[in-house]
Amino acid sequence: MTRKRGLWSLWRRFGIGRSVLLGLFLLFVLFPFYWVAVTSIKPSSDYLAMPPVWFPAHPTIVHYVAALFAYRGLAGLLNSLIVAVATTVASVVLGTCMGYSMVRFGTGGRDLAFWVLSQRFLPPIAVVLPIFLLYRSFGLYDTRFGLVLIYTVMTLPLSVWMMYAYFRQVPRALEEAALVDGCGWWGAFWRIAVPLAVPGIIAAAAFAFIGVWTEFFFALNLTSRHAFTLPTVFRSFLSFQGAQYGESSALAVISLVPSIVLGMLVQKHLVRGLTLGAVRG
Amino acid sequence: MSGGIGAHGLAGQGARQEGRSPLATWSERHIKWLLVAPAIVLILAITVYPLGYSVWVAFVNFDFLIPGHAFVGLGNFAAVLGDPVALHSVVVTAIFTVADVGLEFALGLALALALEKTFRGRGVLMAIFVVPLFIAPVIVGQFWSLLLQRPFGPMDYILSVILRHPVTISWLTEFPWDFIGIILADVWQWTSFILVILLAGLAGIPAELHEAAAIDGAGGWQNFRFITLPQLVPMILLAVTFRLLGAVNLFDTIFMMTGGGPGTSTYTAAYYLYQTGFQQFHLSQATAGSWLFLILVSVAIFLLVRRLLKVEEA
Repeated sequence: MTRKRGLWSLWRRFGIGRSVLLGLFLLFVLFPFYWVAVTSIKPSSDYLAMPPVWFPAHPTIVHYVAALFAYRGLAGLLNSLIVAVATTVASVVLGTCMGYSMVRFGTGGRDLAFWVLSQRFLPPIAVVLPIFLLYRSFGLYDTRFGLVLIYTVMTLPLSVWMMYAYFRQVPRALEEAALVDGCGWWGAFWRIAVPLAVPGIIAAAAFAFIGVWTEFFFALNLTSRHAFTLPTVFRSFLSFQGAQYGESSALAVISLVPSIVLGMLVQKHLVRGLTLGAVRG
Repeated sequence: MSGGIGAHGLAGQGARQEGRSPLATWSERHIKWLLVAPAIVLILAITVYPLGYSVWVAFVNFDFLIPGHAFVGLGNFAAVLGDPVALHSVVVTAIFTVADVGLEFALGLALALALEKTFRGRGVLMAIFVVPLFIAPVIVGQFWSLLLQRPFGPMDYILSVILRHPVTISWLTEFPWDFIGIILADVWQWTSFILVILLAGLAGIPAELHEAAAIDGAGGWQNFRFITLPQLVPMILLAVTFRLLGAVNLFDTIFMMTGGGPGTSTYTAAYYLYQTGFQQFHLSQATAGSWLFLILVSVAIFLLVRRLLKVEEA
């Protein structure tokens, strides 16, 4: 009994339980990154070694070359970049306009807000089939433009909501002063409110970009040989029985770079971004 | 939403002062609707119109090979409900959703409590923990199939070393290990989602409450049970509902890790509808199924969105 209590107080005082929990979770989070990074530079001859090769004696970049060129990773990368940038611009512009109108003029009231927000939770599978049929008949199937359209709608609720939250913090007095000076509402919006909301715009843009960069389901079903994005390239590693470990890892590493960089950028807005503004972090 | 300025009065005034062109006056007067119109039109065109169109598709026989679209009434819905694979996929979705969100919640709460007080290195830890949130789920599936796949993945080897006897589990093809593998991937990616929200919730609990409890002689557990937990309930509900709505759509990791297999054993609802619609081209049946699925989850959507609006108004 005394021994037990002694252990318990030791545990409490030094937070051993806490350290163990955090340490194990850290290992759990980091290990897959390590394994994929190592696999991407492992020569094929090391694949099946037992025990596993934890670091290859002769690192190689052949998998990167193969993934980018033989498996058309580069084309996917370019498509992803173009689609993500175009979507980000469209989503942020539309979101900024809408967010501003909803804050300053109360446009649409609760109903519009409800409608826009609920778009965010529409299951992709529920809309993808009709969109697929629609795109086929309008020649939008397998085009980057088609992807930009659906992705803009997909990212719009978050953009609107982030900008809504941001404009609420912009003091109205500044715009009223501009109105008195004869600026008009467009001038007040463009020259006063938008510049003040730039930090919010950057955060919304980063979230929109990440959303598009990581999207798989729509790209899988709405593109094939031309507009395919980076995530859909992973499909081609499935059809061959398993030997493309290095190539798929190399492509994963390439795709991780923008995710991690932008992820760092939005750290400060993370809570708000993840919860559509419901929680102020 | 409250307290919009009367745009009309002020805008009209501004325009009169300047003596602008009629177009400028018009756009000034209708700025509130001009600003929201493009977004509304786009949403109408890309989701509302297709959804309306799909109502029709669900009630006819829509097939690329068969000319014409014969009206079949509820036939497509009956075909989905009569398909044992469809019902199986709903059960699988429920299992994954409950297991994923349950584990993520338990682990996320424990981590949030462990990270509540500041200490050196806490910022670095958090920065690392949130990285999975920004990764494509399809790549997370790729990560875990590289880790679990036999004979390439190191998982069996690591377990053999820890347990000191040979482990030979076929993670991706053997029940129940395929389920466990997929759950692992989801927990790896989304635990930090719960963690981040609960941590923000913990930070919002007034310190006086804990102090008062301490004065009353409450221990650590009592403090947690009677102060922390009740205060955290709104955040818990929010985080869990968000995750539930994400988890029911589980598709990407299934696609990468098991491809629904072996057989149809790891079909989720989304995967079943994808197979039916895009692989077998039973478009009408899949559309009918999509509607059933949407109706099933729309209660959760409704509740969550209503709650989000309430927070924003407060």
